[in-house]
Amino acid sequence: MIEYVQSALLIISAILIIISAIGLISLSNSTKNVVYARIHIVGVFDIACIIALIGLGQYLLAGIYFIIAPFTAHAIANAYWKKEDRENNSDLVTVEVEPDYDNPFIHPKDKFGSLETEESGKLKADDRFSVTTLEIDEGE
Amino acid sequence: MDILFIAKFILVIALIIMMLAALRASAYKSTSMGLLGSSVVVVAFAMLLLVGGDIYDLGFFKDISLALILFGFIGTVAFAAVLGGDDK
Repeated sequence: MIEYVQSALLIISAILIIISAIGLISLSNSTKNVVYARIHIVGVFDIACIIALIGLGQYLLAGIYFIIAPFTAHAIANAYWKKEDRENNSDLVTVEVEPDYDNPFIHPKDKFGSLETEESGKLKADDRFSVTTLEIDEGE
Repeated sequence: MDILFIAKFILVIALIIMMLAALRASAYKSTSMGLLGSSVVVVAFAMLLLVGGDIYDLGFFKDISLALILFGFIGTVAFAAVLGGDDK
């Protein structure tokens, strides 16, 4: 009976390991935050290893690995965030604040800046504005 | 054939596939991906040693795999600490 439980645990862990291997290489490099996603996928592999260790009867190793696996994932993610991610993507550090368009005293730069095109700078001040007049026929 | 024996071999095949996938992942452009891939390869190799030691009934494989898991963890965390640098 124990043999069947052990082999079931080993086969479950083998399936999980194959799923995580497929996920690890099938993620596209153009995906946003792909390194964090891959660290997340390796978490599945870690748990599969713990299940396999329990299936093999190595309970002490399973307990040790259960404790140290999150530390490894956090260390890699923290290092990536502190150096590569924050330096290569500087927009991550700045916080975008949504302007309040309903407030009559706030005139967002992007909204009114888009009214002027590049060509409008070359024109004279008189050409920028056109005055429409009504033609009144006095004969009517 | 014993079902436990077959399950162990299936696990060995899965671990080899994972090692190859981790090697491919470690070749991606980010340094952190290399760190991640190498840590996965170390753990997968430790697991392979454990399963191999279980199949062929060799005792010292457990000690080697325990050392690999522990020192792999220490090396990964140390490299990550150096890569991250000091807090600004």
